[in-house]
Amino acid sequence: MSAGGARVSWLRVRAIARRHAYVLLRSPHRMFDVTLWPLVDVLLFGSLAAFVGQPGASSGTRAAGYLLAGIVLWHVIYQSQIAVSTGFLEETWSRNLLNLMVTPVRESEYVAGVALFGMVKLLIGIGVMVLGALVFFSFDTSSLGFGLLPIAAVLLLVGWCISLLVIGIVLRFGSGAEALAWGVMFVVMPLSGVFYPVSALPDVLQPLALALPTTHAFAALRGLVDGKGLDWAQLGIAAASVAVLLAFSLAFLTRMLALFRRRGYITRYV
Amino acid sequence: MQADPSRTERAREMILVARGLVKDYRRARAVDGVDLEVRAGERVALLGPNGAGKTTTLLMVLGVVSPDAGWVEVGGRRLERHRSRAAEEVGFAAGYLPLAERLRVREYLRLYGQLYGIADPAPRIDAGLARFRIPHLAEAMGTELSSGQRTLVGIVRATMHHPRLLVLDEPTASLDPDVAMRVRTGLREISDEDGTALLVTSHDMSEVERLCERVVFLSEGRIVADGTADEVAASYGRGNLEGVFLHLAEEHLEPHEPGGAQQSDHPL
Repeated sequence: MSAGGARVSWLRVRAIARRHAYVLLRSPHRMFDVTLWPLVDVLLFGSLAAFVGQPGASSGTRAAGYLLAGIVLWHVIYQSQIAVSTGFLEETWSRNLLNLMVTPVRESEYVAGVALFGMVKLLIGIGVMVLGALVFFSFDTSSLGFGLLPIAAVLLLVGWCISLLVIGIVLRFGSGAEALAWGVMFVVMPLSGVFYPVSALPDVLQPLALALPTTHAFAALRGLVDGKGLDWAQLGIAAASVAVLLAFSLAFLTRMLALFRRRGYITRYV
Repeated sequence: MQADPSRTERAREMILVARGLVKDYRRARAVDGVDLEVRAGERVALLGPNGAGKTTTLLMVLGVVSPDAGWVEVGGRRLERHRSRAAEEVGFAAGYLPLAERLRVREYLRLYGQLYGIADPAPRIDAGLARFRIPHLAEAMGTELSSGQRTLVGIVRATMHHPRLLVLDEPTASLDPDVAMRVRTGLREISDEDGTALLVTSHDMSEVERLCERVVFLSEGRIVADGTADEVAASYGRGNLEGVFLHLAEEHLEPHEPGGAQQSDHPL
């Protein structure tokens, strides 16, 4: 992989995307990521929503909306992050990193290819969730309106940013840091107020939560669930902070890749 | 017989220039001031005992490891600034690398053909598989191949885009003699027909003598000999390259004076 130049080859991007499509199609257990686990999450949070939303429960209907809309949108971050992170990890698992790094493919082309394929996985996974929410819990995600799209776009970018950070850390610390690919999401989720407002978090964590773009994106989502329309202020803060996060992630990855080359860490993978 | 003028012209061209390469891993110096030049169509072996700095030198030539000092130019392009363009001129295969999992051989070769900018790699895939007499493997899964077959497919991958420089790290390690012969024959054809320069590491000295017209010996990160196999062997007073190799390996095992830099007193 190479950093030089800005010209992106669509041919290379498609080649990378196709390579990962083959990996998914020939690894049936990986289909769980886009079918079974999203469905399990919908059933879990949908059942919880049905419980808190039962007649007599206070604010039940609204809470049910928060839970189901929250888990569907959470999967946008989760799936986009996992797709890119595991796409890169696949190269280390199959000891393909050296072969790849000697080709003319640029980092931007590689990430674009994996992200492109990740979009396909994301669409399948979200499709399964939206359908599951509708069939099992009569929750129509589309009823939240077009405001969902910019929120989903912000969350998609956050997922990609986290994956760039994870790849950078794996480049620096080696395969031992792989667990971060999954573990980091368990830290981001509670801090992001996916199902509740930031005010529900312990006071000490609230400033940290407010610094995350995800927190503002999910706050905007709750506005949609409440029927108040899209909260542009929250969305604007989310978009601005995701731009900062993206710049930081790219700078971090570039630095870690330079360190990877300087210290000869490729020898870990040959 | 008169030399082909176009080939002579190509042969003058320098495809690889490395100057003053230095690489330290923690406190150990792996490569210590290597200058290396390879001309178009030239077949060069990079030899030396384990730990001599061969693979680190190759990795720097490929741009996967950055030198601590010095620079590499491939096809007139400095790697640190134009790695992607320079990489288009280079192919790389190593006997120890597996094929990417979950891909058929044809899919694998198509992937790499497209990474090297070939929009329709199918004809080149067929030609490459035919050259190494493995067209029957086109639809096999990478994991079904023997190590020899994987090596052959790896060389097809590395040569599909007609590189001007082909870098091979231990291409025939652990191969049966017949497969090793097929590799050498194919490599010689590629070099003769396409004018591709070869930079090869190997521990098989007889193979080097058969394949390469120039050998560069590394010891403790430094070039200690550079010339034809006969020149190098003669300069060490040995009958062949194996004798030189054993001599250098023994020298490598001898204790060194503390803090003293290892200077070769060899004339080459």
